[in-house]
Amino acid sequence: MPNVAIGFLGTTLDRGAGAERWTRWRPTVALCQQDDLVIDRLELLVSPRAQTLADAIVEDIALISPETKVRIWPFEVPDMWDFEAMYSALHDWARAYPFQPEVEDYLVHITTGTHVAQIVSFLLTETRHLPGKLIQTSPTKRVRDAAPGRYDIIDLDLDRYDKIAQRFAREHQEGESLLKSGIATRNAAFNHLIEQLERVALRTRDPILLTGPTGAGKSQLAQRIYDLKSKRRQVTGEFVELNCATLHGTSAMSALFGHVKGAFTGATTDRRGLLRAADGGVLFLDEIGELGLDEQAMLLRALEEKRFLPFGSDREVTSRFQLFAGTHKDLVDEVAAGRFREDLLARINLWTFRLPGLKDRTEDIAPNFEYEVERAAERTGERVTFNRAARERFLEFATSPQAEWRANFRDLNAAVVRMATLCRGGRVVRTDVEEEIARLERNWSCAPTESDVEQTLAEVMGARFRDLDRFDAVQLAEVMAVCRASQTLADAGRRLFAVSRTKKRITNDSDRLRKYLLKFDLTWDQITRSAATRP
Amino acid sequence: MITIDGSMGEGGGQVIRSAVALSLVTGTPVRLQNIRAGRSKPGVLRQHHTALAAAATISNGTLDGGAVGDTSAEFSPGRVVPGDYEFAVGSAGSTTLVFQTILPALLLVDRVSTITLSGGTHNPWAPPVDYLAQVFAPLLERMGGRIEIETERYGFAPAGGGQWRATVHPLRSWKELQLHERGDVHTRRATILIANLPGGRAVAERERRVLVRRLNWRECDVTVQDVPNSAGPGNVILCTVESDSVTEMGVAFGQLGVRAESVARAAANQVRAYLTHDAPVGEHLADQLMLPLTLAGKGSFVTGRLSRHATTNRDVLAMFDVAPLRIESYGARTQRVFVG
Repeated sequence: MPNVAIGFLGTTLDRGAGAERWTRWRPTVALCQQDDLVIDRLELLVSPRAQTLADAIVEDIALISPETKVRIWPFEVPDMWDFEAMYSALHDWARAYPFQPEVEDYLVHITTGTHVAQIVSFLLTETRHLPGKLIQTSPTKRVRDAAPGRYDIIDLDLDRYDKIAQRFAREHQEGESLLKSGIATRNAAFNHLIEQLERVALRTRDPILLTGPTGAGKSQLAQRIYDLKSKRRQVTGEFVELNCATLHGTSAMSALFGHVKGAFTGATTDRRGLLRAADGGVLFLDEIGELGLDEQAMLLRALEEKRFLPFGSDREVTSRFQLFAGTHKDLVDEVAAGRFREDLLARINLWTFRLPGLKDRTEDIAPNFEYEVERAAERTGERVTFNRAARERFLEFATSPQAEWRANFRDLNAAVVRMATLCRGGRVVRTDVEEEIARLERNWSCAPTESDVEQTLAEVMGARFRDLDRFDAVQLAEVMAVCRASQTLADAGRRLFAVSRTKKRITNDSDRLRKYLLKFDLTWDQITRSAATRP
Repeated sequence: MITIDGSMGEGGGQVIRSAVALSLVTGTPVRLQNIRAGRSKPGVLRQHHTALAAAATISNGTLDGGAVGDTSAEFSPGRVVPGDYEFAVGSAGSTTLVFQTILPALLLVDRVSTITLSGGTHNPWAPPVDYLAQVFAPLLERMGGRIEIETERYGFAPAGGGQWRATVHPLRSWKELQLHERGDVHTRRATILIANLPGGRAVAERERRVLVRRLNWRECDVTVQDVPNSAGPGNVILCTVESDSVTEMGVAFGQLGVRAESVARAAANQVRAYLTHDAPVGEHLADQLMLPLTLAGKGSFVTGRLSRHATTNRDVLAMFDVAPLRIESYGARTQRVFVG
């Protein structure tokens, strides 16, 4: 393909008079004088004041390089050292120029022009407004080769350089390893997800949505993405994490957006709110599907305009944070049910990563198990070891179809913690493992997972839920879940007694439900307003 | 199709030129690989590209690859058409080397051709146009070929911009060249060319002093010539030794940063090297004569030890269906190159 060079006329370097000029290195002439490079066309940007010099250069190029066609472009910038003016002028030129990268190769000559011109040439080449490679000419050191000197072509497509590519590959690996907490995961789908996430995380300030079943590690992953960004100096602020399931009413508004003193009863001081706490950093909203519709609207505005009104304030504040959102729900379903704003979903659904559950990653159970063992040892301060039989038995069970891993990593972590705590002398043996397997199977035999039950109950009742029998706990949690998903007490009653009510002449669902709740000292309001008691 | 590995021998541009010249003459397509593999800037340079393109032009041949920077090329010659041609070499590349590539083919057609070449006429590592006119042309004439050379403008590297014209007459039949004895040297003269050189006269005087001293020549054997028609500056020393049988020439180029004395010493050393033996043909001329000799299919010449350049050249020629060149010792420090 023909080579087209683009460059500024060097009003100093390209100058030269008399036959002597041929012994001097003049970059623009030298560019066309290389014995192993043909410039088929030269687009020469010339200040109108330097027209005479340009004419002389055109003549010299015609002599030394008959194949080169030179086109002069009058290029007027009042101050060639003014970055903004220079950038605008060259940007305009580049936009107007009919580049045909399929049929011509472009070389941007950066040896001539002011330093500002060189910087601008570089920037526009890097952003591919000038779709070519850089070319630099230079005189050789030995005087005998004064003209035409040498040249170097610099391709800014860094993937083309083996050593640089290796460097990047190493950096990617480090990033991926960080995202995986250093666990050598083997699941191809998961590794692919991490690989993509590593690239996306370092390139975008847009929201990132992490979905997947409970306990799949969304929260940990969010923290690690932040750590990676922090390590690469892409964030200046904090990592602020909030589980939206713990929010409701005015406290939700003020927790997120802050409030001013006197905004509501009990607001005795100003509160900054989590959005502002995450300024320059990352705000991770876990279980974003639980966020109220009002808060969703505020959040959307804060995302789009980086501005929002603290509760009770009439002065907008700004915060530039990156949003990470987590959910185990299908937000599309939530939109259909009217519980989630479609526009907010559209805004946060740009980069969505679905974390697979542990059961879909059986090949990763072993490395995660080792990781959990190490963490357990760190936490207890004592070395914990599994003997060979214990380890083999546990992994055999863990990777078998019998292991449901309903709460995924949360289950795995709990299992390891329990075994590490219950074993004698820091040595987990076969019987410890068998006991744990029995415990896990028992847990999984109940419909909702233990942790889901505990979480729901804790949200409403606080620590009081621990006094419940397991028998009651499971039932109550389910009742609470239905209540929360219902508009009214009657509505919830109809759902809860959907079967038995058809056999009754007079239905009294609301009453039955109210009385049931009363047994636990609970009211409809308490449940549906959820609980802010959870830390 | 003959495939030629450009890394053979000294691995330079001569491989391309000889291969293409013989391809034109024999009508055999050639594939060149690893072009100039032995050089610091491997691949086709501008002068080689012009040579390849010129070969394609005069023969309506096809050239695949062979662009500047390429390391391979495929050339299929068509029928060579005599006529008027113009070729330009950018970057002051040597025009004489381009000419040598197409000369044999143009000798072997039935009409006169004129070739106008522009670019470098005096380049280091290439015979200057004076050498073609004064040394090569007379010997070619003795072999039956006639060329006339007219220099219009000098083109010294690095500015180039020279222009000259060669008229190539059809060769009716090859004559046998027998060049065994040098005979008596009857004329020695050195011409110092200077063009657009500030203080050029002084430079030339310093060169003259060294030539006179080292060669033991007379002051009047050395003439200084101002070249008016040159674009750029230049300085070349041409030392001519005429004997009964042949005219030979030593050449050295002035360059920025090289002292005048060193340039003169280089020129003198070439003459002294030539005069150390009795062979009529010097190192570079031996190289030039090989192709015509092999095409003639008869004749022989005696030279000093063949350079690596020359043996590479012979190896390239041997790949074509032409009379093979043979080499034998001829005296203590000389060799005879012959056909038959």
